[in-house]
Amino acid sequence: MTNPSMLDPFSLWKTMYEQTETNFSEAIHETLGKEEYAELLGQVQNGFLQYQDLIQKTTDTYLKQMNIPTREEISSVASLIINLEEKVESLDEKLDDADLNQKTLQEISKLKTSITRLDKKMNQILQALSTNKDQESPSTEPEKTTTEKPTPKK
Amino acid sequence: MVNTKESIESFIDNMPEDYKNEYKRYKRVMNILTREPEPEVGQTPKEVIWTKNKAKLYRYQPNKQKTKKVPILMIYALINKPYILDLTPGSSLIEYLTDRGHDVYLLDWGIPGHEDRHMKFDDYVMDYIPRAIKKVLKKSEQDEISLLGYCIGGTLTSIAAALHPNLPIRNLVFMTSPFDFSDAGLFSNWLDERYFNLDLMVDTLGNIPAETIDFGNKLLKPITNYFGPYVALANRADDDEFVKNWSLLQKWVEDGVPFPGEAYRQWIREFYQQNKLINDELYIRGQQVKLSNIKANVLNIAANRDHIAIPKQTEKLMDKISSKDKTYELVSAGHVSVTVGKKAPTTTYPLIEEWLAKRSN
Repeated sequence: MTNPSMLDPFSLWKTMYEQTETNFSEAIHETLGKEEYAELLGQVQNGFLQYQDLIQKTTDTYLKQMNIPTREEISSVASLIINLEEKVESLDEKLDDADLNQKTLQEISKLKTSITRLDKKMNQILQALSTNKDQESPSTEPEKTTTEKPTPKK
Repeated sequence: MVNTKESIESFIDNMPEDYKNEYKRYKRVMNILTREPEPEVGQTPKEVIWTKNKAKLYRYQPNKQKTKKVPILMIYALINKPYILDLTPGSSLIEYLTDRGHDVYLLDWGIPGHEDRHMKFDDYVMDYIPRAIKKVLKKSEQDEISLLGYCIGGTLTSIAAALHPNLPIRNLVFMTSPFDFSDAGLFSNWLDERYFNLDLMVDTLGNIPAETIDFGNKLLKPITNYFGPYVALANRADDDEFVKNWSLLQKWVEDGVPFPGEAYRQWIREFYQQNKLINDELYIRGQQVKLSNIKANVLNIAANRDHIAIPKQTEKLMDKISSKDKTYELVSAGHVSVTVGKKAPTTTYPLIEEWLAKRSN
């Protein structure tokens, strides 16, 4: 930091700022928070807006007389382009969704294939089990017949 | 002319050392204010992955390795420029996160033209944000996303999250975002509907100029905001590091964009004057906005010296959301210094990074 010197306009300014900031900050804050200040601000705003309106209307009239497009007219051309872009954007969104759907369809198709394979394997297992059962059944059948009780005749 | 300049220089050379130094400092201040180019901002490499009207969606450091799974989409205020989150190397939240393996995206709102004066919150929340989220998910090939909203961007993000419970939002980070407007400090007084002619303002101006918004923000602390920066500059003009940061901060503050007219009308009336959001009275395209619909993990950051989004405006969100994992952090900073400056890289950045890192895999 620079040391203060005899001829330092900034140090005077800085001291003034620090004093003002310390002493007036609260008072200013209080003033800014008053309803009267809001009312004053509203009046200044109205005056400013009336002036702006006058300038805009005068400019528009002049531009029309000179056959030069106004801001409104140029922005309506921009709006047409934005609307067109919106349609492209909507198509892009649909393509994105279609792409997503395509991916989902591919996933479903893959899932179907693996389920079919699984189904085939299950069939093979069931077939193998029943073949195995068939091979084992001749030895067990006679035992069954011996244990069966004769049905009593009525 | 040259002779006059030379004679002044030789006169100064013959002056005592103290006076000479003061003259040099004065010259430096004048040069900074009038001649020096504006500082370079937004230097983190990025690519545009989607555009809509003036908006652009950026992906940052696309070639850097992404070690964190969940991508982050940043949404900033409608009145700023996108570089506020990427000010300069070493003072950039985006750089900080991408350097640590996060996949970072940012939705740049662009600069609205007169043709955009009819844009409303409805358009941003229903058309832009959900679409940008889908684009990010597609680009990053992930199923979930983190959203980070700054200032009004955070308010927009909360509305989008509340209205689209089906969007796969895992994490939400809000930085100095106002949600409750029952007491918005001095703004509540200035925007009193009895005195503030909102309709006349929007109907006359169309978009609200950046200078008008800046005037309102600076008026919150007029002496500090209008004179403080110049007193500080004059005092430390011989400190190059200070001057660099000063120029960056001034650019950040002064370089706003217009507020789209209808969005401004909505922002002042439905938020500042009628406080609809926090009371579940806000309707966007006919749909009621219920903040209780938010179930994602939430980190809500407020700054204790913030006069624009004062902490009591931000913390009320915590009572409304249904999130099980929710954190409220009050950091020692102001509305701007929460994202840039000397302290942010050691306070706010690690806070966000660590919180997100734990919830991004």
